[in-house]
Amino acid sequence: MRNKLSFFHTTIMIYMFQSGVVILSMPHILAYYFGTNGWLAVILISLIVNVNIGFIFLVYRLGKGRSVFEILEQSVSKVILFPLYIALAILWTVLGSLVSKDYVHIFQLFSFPNTPPMLLTVLMGLLALMLLVKGIFVIERAATIFFWLIIWMLLLLFAFSYDFEWVRLTPFVFKEGDNFLLGGLNLLKGFLGYELSLFLFPYSDKRTKLIQAVIIANVMITLVYFITCFIAYGFYSLNQLKGVLYPVIDMMSYIKFPFVQRVENLFYGFFMFTNLFSTVAYVWAAKEACQRVFKKVKPGILAVVLIIIGFSAIAIPDVTGEVREWLAFLGFFEIGVAFILPVLLILVLITQRIMGGAR
Amino acid sequence: MSKKGVRIVAAFLVIMMMAGCGDERILERLGFIESQSFDLLPNGKLRITCSIPIADPQSEQNRKVIAIDAESSKDAKLEFNKKTSLTLVSGQLRNLLISKSVAEQGLWDKFDTFGRDPAISPQVNISIVNGNAGHLLEKDYKQHPPTDKYVNRLLGKEARAHTIPKMTLYEFSRDLLDDGIDSIAPIIKEEEDNITLDGIGLFMESKYVTKIDTEEAIILGFLRGNLQRSAIDVELKKGQQVMFNSLTSKRKVKVEHADTERAKVAIHVHLKGSILEYTGPLKLDNPSNRREIAKTVSEHLTERANKMVKFMQKHQVDSLGIGQYVRNSLSHNEWQSMNWRDVYSKADIKCYVHIKIRNIGKSS
Repeated sequence: MRNKLSFFHTTIMIYMFQSGVVILSMPHILAYYFGTNGWLAVILISLIVNVNIGFIFLVYRLGKGRSVFEILEQSVSKVILFPLYIALAILWTVLGSLVSKDYVHIFQLFSFPNTPPMLLTVLMGLLALMLLVKGIFVIERAATIFFWLIIWMLLLLFAFSYDFEWVRLTPFVFKEGDNFLLGGLNLLKGFLGYELSLFLFPYSDKRTKLIQAVIIANVMITLVYFITCFIAYGFYSLNQLKGVLYPVIDMMSYIKFPFVQRVENLFYGFFMFTNLFSTVAYVWAAKEACQRVFKKVKPGILAVVLIIIGFSAIAIPDVTGEVREWLAFLGFFEIGVAFILPVLLILVLITQRIMGGAR
Repeated sequence: MSKKGVRIVAAFLVIMMMAGCGDERILERLGFIESQSFDLLPNGKLRITCSIPIADPQSEQNRKVIAIDAESSKDAKLEFNKKTSLTLVSGQLRNLLISKSVAEQGLWDKFDTFGRDPAISPQVNISIVNGNAGHLLEKDYKQHPPTDKYVNRLLGKEARAHTIPKMTLYEFSRDLLDDGIDSIAPIIKEEEDNITLDGIGLFMESKYVTKIDTEEAIILGFLRGNLQRSAIDVELKKGQQVMFNSLTSKRKVKVEHADTERAKVAIHVHLKGSILEYTGPLKLDNPSNRREIAKTVSEHLTERANKMVKFMQKHQVDSLGIGQYVRNSLSHNEWQSMNWRDVYSKADIKCYVHIKIRNIGKSS
């Protein structure tokens, strides 16, 4: 077996890192913050993400595929770096674990409403742990399998086309919205996950075509978000979209049988797969960072410790509102990391080049 | 993983799975509310009736009907639960039957829970009852399936034939919250041995205003959207009747002029159908006769359509969604500064119905 990531699997894995339950409420977020024809914002944000991917590409090019930790450790003292690694690891562990809890909270709107949410969240943690201890190559292959289990649901969107009406889209662009900046940041959170490709450098070679994989994954997620939100805008009226918290789940209720309805709740279970990979992605990145500090600790032990820390921390927010507040707060932090880290690395690399040249 | 490790994980999994037992739902102990009706009492309270099918083959009854008096639909569920040994759930709710008196007061504020409760599907049918909705739901109609299923199938079948609009919670709230269209809902009423359609209710915001007769429902259907697999019966003169089936329609709304004060709109409807029955003097195998019949039918339908639009304008209800097209022809500022309801009631709206005969059946 090759000990480097493959192009196809990496593309799918990054797509799975990016996708999550945000899609269920995305048309609502767009309607609330951007107003009319908010689906256009998906393209704008995707372009911003592409600029960010451009920075990651520069890091990859300038660093000649070296690990970001190596790049940093070459120029910056470990006294500064290790606390930074620990801080990032805490951010990623808690963020990854929170994503699971958010999923469980939405899940409980429909199923098992009286079961303590932490029990179900821990179950998710256990699944994530099983993947984490196996390492990135197994995660990559598992992502592909789970991808096929979920992507077919996109076809369901065409079932709603009967009630789609162009007239509801209106010719107005971004009117009756609330706050573009906040909306943009909220939307950007739905794209997060691609920035973790920074840590895939040591697992890639030329044949992985890592940056190409990230770009294609981003195009895929953009298309999925775009189609979903566009159809939702023609399916719902604007003010209705502002009022429905999870429009995509409601859209799926179209699928009903004479003997039973509400089967869409079963479909919601499939979203666990994408969500699971968001959790795995962040805790894996945290594990990579911690590994630099605790070099002698086995990766499996580190994964267990991180999952325990993460899932203990997220026991604190216990109602949906609190989980959302935490997620918003940490999500904004992560957006900061996604944009600042590559820029910081580029600066370090340029400095290294200049210093190297001077020598 | 070692054997010991596998055992630990397996034990942990079993414990976790058992967590699901805390939230168990035993089918036999659940009461699936299938229909719910709302009537207004003289003291201002609501009489809410719910019908629950009974799956037990040994039971003589096939459903259970419970009625309570409550301030709102929110209080009702708790009250219902007090009256039955079953745990009531709303996941399989299919019909909301609302009496005209409740609808006249406005639907939305009273029914907040239907939008909020995640168990309730947005695909629940809404219909207005001319008369006592509770009584209609309570009664068993001998020649028909159990009342819940009877109502559900009746509404579904008629909606597919476009004799009434398909109106669910999703569609009702979609039009209610859109600033360029008003909601509509089918009206049903109780007869001695049957339930029958009684027209289409027109709403202003969430309040019932007036209705359109069942015979005119198809006109409303093709003026409001595109139809497929429909049928229409037209009486051209006394004793001269023509019936079309396999009717399809395409609607085009053209805003010829609109500003903040006035609007001029043309609605073009193109129908295509097969003649199933014709009781008149003309021979249908002659193309010019067919053209003449098509022309007469078109004129007849145009007249009825224009009459309907005038009726709606008089009541200031934009049930056809003309406002959506006027909105889309204006700038956002113009639309916001326009009082659409006022402009609509005075707007110059003309309908043009054109029918084409697809075929004349097997005989000439």
